[in-house]
Amino acid sequence: MTTAIRSKSGFSAYDSHQDTSKQAQWRADKWMIAGTLLMGTGVLGMLGLPLFFYGLHLQMQAAKAGLSVRPLIVTLIGYLVIIDSSLNSLGWAMDLFANHSLINRVLTSGWGAVFDGGYFWHYNELMLGPYAVGGSGAPGEKAWEIALILACFCPRLAAAIGLLQMKRWGQQWLIVTCWMGLIVWIGYNLNMTFYADVRYANITFPVLGWWIYDIFYITPFLSLPYLHTVNREIFSD
Amino acid sequence: MTDKKEPSLPSGTMAHFANMHKWLQRALFVCLVALVIEASFSLPGLLIWFGWPTLSVTEVCDELMKVRWSDDKAACLVPHPLYGANEGVGRTNGPAATAQDEWGIQPRPLYKRIGFRDLVKFRDERLVREAAARPSKEMAATDADSQVLDSPLF
Repeated sequence: MTTAIRSKSGFSAYDSHQDTSKQAQWRADKWMIAGTLLMGTGVLGMLGLPLFFYGLHLQMQAAKAGLSVRPLIVTLIGYLVIIDSSLNSLGWAMDLFANHSLINRVLTSGWGAVFDGGYFWHYNELMLGPYAVGGSGAPGEKAWEIALILACFCPRLAAAIGLLQMKRWGQQWLIVTCWMGLIVWIGYNLNMTFYADVRYANITFPVLGWWIYDIFYITPFLSLPYLHTVNREIFSD
Repeated sequence: MTDKKEPSLPSGTMAHFANMHKWLQRALFVCLVALVIEASFSLPGLLIWFGWPTLSVTEVCDELMKVRWSDDKAACLVPHPLYGANEGVGRTNGPAATAQDEWGIQPRPLYKRIGFRDLVKFRDERLVREAAARPSKEMAATDADSQVLDSPLF
């Protein structure tokens, strides 16, 4: 009888700790989700950053208070992958579907004139048979855009949400889609290299400018060493 | 032995990988902040580089098109007409083509490189060119025997 009461009180203390931890995590996540939604738009990123930091601060406080919240590095990987995927998909979706909008003809093709001629050279001339496709006309670029949005960035975004929920499938799919990053970076850069004149001739900051601008998209290579070395028991089935 | 250290490690991080995880976390943090700052300043940064606010956003689009096809007559239509002609029609191919390219298996564009606020400079130069061309055209129109050449200044 005594044992039963003890174990019951033990369970309820555990349950209460779990509930408090969940609430603390959700409270922090609400701020970080709001921040990430803004940061994913690109131009509103500076408004989202403080919201995200506040959420991060709440999570760190909860961890210090002894609550079971997500490890900080998992939070950073999850949200950074979402931002990385959003920014890539946003830019490419604009180039695919909104390529004649004023904002796109200034932002995307203007960015092309400065960093990557593939987005400036004969922009909006691409055709598919009799149909106008528009956007970047650089050899191979359109195929990369469609393939990577569909096969890499969307699944990676879903995997990041799973990771943030501490699900095993999230960790596993993030590993899969981050390894795709290796093909993305090697294939994409070699395509640029073979058409280097189109991409880099007579633009403002060729090659080095592109690398400085794009190096911060190396998220998958920072995530993989962690995802392979973390104790996967912390992710639930 | 390791009991003292383990509580300070984040959950999921084993002592052997603690240092690597610490540095990965720092790099992830840097990437996140850099990516967000870069993404949010790209549009205003580019606009300022090109010539805003001296040039309006539409004028920046317009000047970019003139550089792309090396054509003073290229215009940024806002909104672009639905099912309208391809912007490069007549400028890329054909007898009146203006685009400057070395065509081949690996084409090489020969348009002008755009430095800081160059679009303002290009616009001003074009206006001077047009102003210089106007009176000579008028003179040619009024005097049929005139031998005035419609030569560009630049």
